[in-house]
Amino acid sequence: MPNNSDEAHLVKMAKTGDKWAIAEIVSRESGRVYNLALKLLRNKEDAEDVLQETFLIFMNKVQSYRGESSLSTWLFRVTTNVALSKMRAKELIDKDISIHDPDFESLKGYEIRNWPNHPENEMDKKAFSDCLTKALNRLSEDYRVVFVLRDLEGMSTKETSKILGISISNVKVRLMRARLLLRDQLAIKLKCVERR
Amino acid sequence: MNHHNHDKQLLDSLQSQFGKDIDSEVMENIAKHMKDCPDCKIYVDSVKHTVKIYRTTEKNQSVPEDVSDRLFKTLKLKRHS
Repeated sequence: MPNNSDEAHLVKMAKTGDKWAIAEIVSRESGRVYNLALKLLRNKEDAEDVLQETFLIFMNKVQSYRGESSLSTWLFRVTTNVALSKMRAKELIDKDISIHDPDFESLKGYEIRNWPNHPENEMDKKAFSDCLTKALNRLSEDYRVVFVLRDLEGMSTKETSKILGISISNVKVRLMRARLLLRDQLAIKLKCVERR
Repeated sequence: MNHHNHDKQLLDSLQSQFGKDIDSEVMENIAKHMKDCPDCKIYVDSVKHTVKIYRTTEKNQSVPEDVSDRLFKTLKLKRHS
């Protein structure tokens, strides 16, 4: 992780068009950008497209970067926006569900019982992985992005709110709903629900 | 595991789920309730495990060499050795 003065110096050089500084930033940040894109899109080719597009935008817009947020946060915002455009274009969100949708009520009349300590051992590895992907794909983009940024990328609530341009309380609400939606879908797949 | 550690673990678990800005007294009351309420314990454990499953299965990976090569080519930049 670069320190702030190091990063500020690189950005300053990048703004003058210094190719070495730009290449250094790309080298340092490409891993995080690629992984975020991969987690949002769950497809290597799409993640590569997002990676390239994010850094093309970075090269074109670095002049307008004012340093109000860290470079990583700024790049994550660009990555998220590019990935969301791609998800919408390819309809990668299978079906938006929110806490108000009937699907969310799928546990209505049921309750979770005996949640296994290692649910991953309850199913075939491939089937379990598919189940996780499908559950994530079914989340509306609002919930999915917050879950990926907060729980998978380990961003703070404040950073996530900056990246998405939403309030901190909105991040918290979306995160809890995303977790519950995912939990409920897994519970049904793992058959650890029973009628009340 | 002694009683104190158990309480600490429970509080940490609740804090991680509900955020660190919840009043500590409220958190302690929730934790006390949780110890005597199996339904609430299942609720919290199941959410905690869901997050843990995703974190475990979604590990970060290095950018593949060919992907990195194409990125630098697209950007018309030289990779640093």
